[in-house]
Amino acid sequence: MVLIALDNIFKIYNVGGEEVRALDGIDLKIKENEYLAIMGPSGSGKSTLMNMIGCLDTPSSGVYQFEGEMVQDMDDDQLASIRNRKIGFVFQTFNLLPKATAQHNVEIPLIYGNVRKAERVKLASEALDNVGLSDRIHHRPNELSGGQRQRVAIARALVNSPSIILADEPTGNLDSKSGHEIMEILNQLHQKGNTVILVTHEDEIAQHAHRIIRLFDGKITEDLQVKNE
Amino acid sequence: MILLFLENFSISLSAVFANKTRSILTALGIIIGVLSVTMMGTLISGLDKTFESSMSWLGKDILYVSRYEWFGDMEWWEVRNRPRMRPEYVDKVKARSKYALAVAPVMQRGASLSYGEKETRTEIFGTNEDYMETITTNIVQGRFFTKNEDRSGSRVTVIGDGIKEAFFGDQNPIGKYIKIDNLKFRVIGVLEKQGKFLGLFSVDKQAILPIGAYSRIFSKRGWMRLSIKIPEDKIEEGIDEVSSVMRHIRGLKPNQKNDFAINQTKAFEKNYNALKLAIGGTGTFITLLSLIVGGIGVMNIMFVSVKERTREIGIRKAIGATKGMIMGQFLMEAIVICLFAGLLGLLLSYICSTLLNKIFPSTLDMWLATFSILMSMIVGIISGFIPSYQAANLDPIDSLRYE
Repeated sequence: MVLIALDNIFKIYNVGGEEVRALDGIDLKIKENEYLAIMGPSGSGKSTLMNMIGCLDTPSSGVYQFEGEMVQDMDDDQLASIRNRKIGFVFQTFNLLPKATAQHNVEIPLIYGNVRKAERVKLASEALDNVGLSDRIHHRPNELSGGQRQRVAIARALVNSPSIILADEPTGNLDSKSGHEIMEILNQLHQKGNTVILVTHEDEIAQHAHRIIRLFDGKITEDLQVKNE
Repeated sequence: MILLFLENFSISLSAVFANKTRSILTALGIIIGVLSVTMMGTLISGLDKTFESSMSWLGKDILYVSRYEWFGDMEWWEVRNRPRMRPEYVDKVKARSKYALAVAPVMQRGASLSYGEKETRTEIFGTNEDYMETITTNIVQGRFFTKNEDRSGSRVTVIGDGIKEAFFGDQNPIGKYIKIDNLKFRVIGVLEKQGKFLGLFSVDKQAILPIGAYSRIFSKRGWMRLSIKIPEDKIEEGIDEVSSVMRHIRGLKPNQKNDFAINQTKAFEKNYNALKLAIGGTGTFITLLSLIVGGIGVMNIMFVSVKERTREIGIRKAIGATKGMIMGQFLMEAIVICLFAGLLGLLLSYICSTLLNKIFPSTLDMWLATFSILMSMIVGIISGFIPSYQAANLDPIDSLRYE
């Protein structure tokens, strides 16, 4: 089943009177339970593409369907809702709320999803348990290691049972051992049936994925199925 | 909705408490605003109480006729040149006026009172048997003097509660002799306790003498006024009539101005209302000013807060917060700051009014407290609006990148 369908997507910025095509006619289909890596040098448009897929941004032209919903026509609140329900973000810099405990950080998407307190606490503890942090739920981010923080971020991404996990350089700020652990978790998530999209410039990380897309100057230059599903 | 409300409330609390000093400094304007509005209200209601009880002693249906006006703007020498009131006016007014129910001449001077070893200086009054009808105070012990006692120059006196307390304590003073400027007077009555007039001076230390004895012993001349009781529903007519009677007594021609003044408690009320308006106006002005300053302070700090937490806003938006949710969060923070400021202001004002209550009747009333809390919340909403709107409309991508 096709989860994401990008059809002739353009993202055009006007920088000082000059037209910059961050995305220049992207066609891309992502199916359920794919494990995809988006690669490319900086300035290639991979961040823009990730923002587009993550519904943080809307295209200048083209059609973006997310599970059949037309994303390009959505207003800000509808985009917020789709991000809340269908997309789990994992960022390079973790992006946890510094003053909130691990538990609370994981609960936030549920709060915005209007989930009741008891249910929320249960789901959040389960999500933290899944990433092996059940003994750290009352710690704040500054009391956790980088790897642990990224695991909290993954728990937060997972807690709403989203359709896709969108990981932007998930190991970029981690030492190799922690990075390895995080990739293990993502691999497991894929095995359990999640759709995982990695954005990275490291070949080593991209090798975990089953399909690799290379971007250059806002265009897809290569789309390779490296492993079979 | 309620979930989000609670979440926003707890975020706001932690944000406010994380920056205690900043929050308090920010809120100073609001604190002062609440303090000034509540203290103003307290002051006015305290004044009202004092004024009402003081005014009730004077009686709305009494005209006070004398040389000077209570709240006139006449030069002192003009007043001085007016002829004095004279005891014989009493009978003339009684004879000519149909509205005058009672006419009492009142003369007054300082005198030294003593009883045995005890001695005190106080005011003594000389008046006639109508006097009791022109005041609202009652006799609590004994009786007032009669017309005959007045005519015959009997040395009798009715004393105030203060004198009775000072000289006799729990003893019965009736029939006892006290000395007024070394002359013996027999106490025949005691006046009810009154307290202080307008909170200024006690009227309980006084002695009332028949004017017959008073003028024989102390002076025939000297300051004097007439207290004239008129029917309560005929005040205006009464004033007109007494005025024309007085003009007749004085033999004034139609083109001559009055050389006397007819005073009434209304004059107090008019001046009191002007005073109240002045206090209210000043208080409102200070309140508004400090609320505006406070509101700008809160707005400013909210801009800082939004700036500081740009990344947090980005994160929240990425994981599904809508514009409304972000707006609610920051609006709540502004309201919480102002609410705390309001409560703090109220606490200060409660302390102030409790302290003040020792010298002046002042209590903080519930209505005013509720109003001031509501007022601070409104300031919170107004001053938080633009920063919150700004926060809500931040671009999630840019704010996620913000360092």
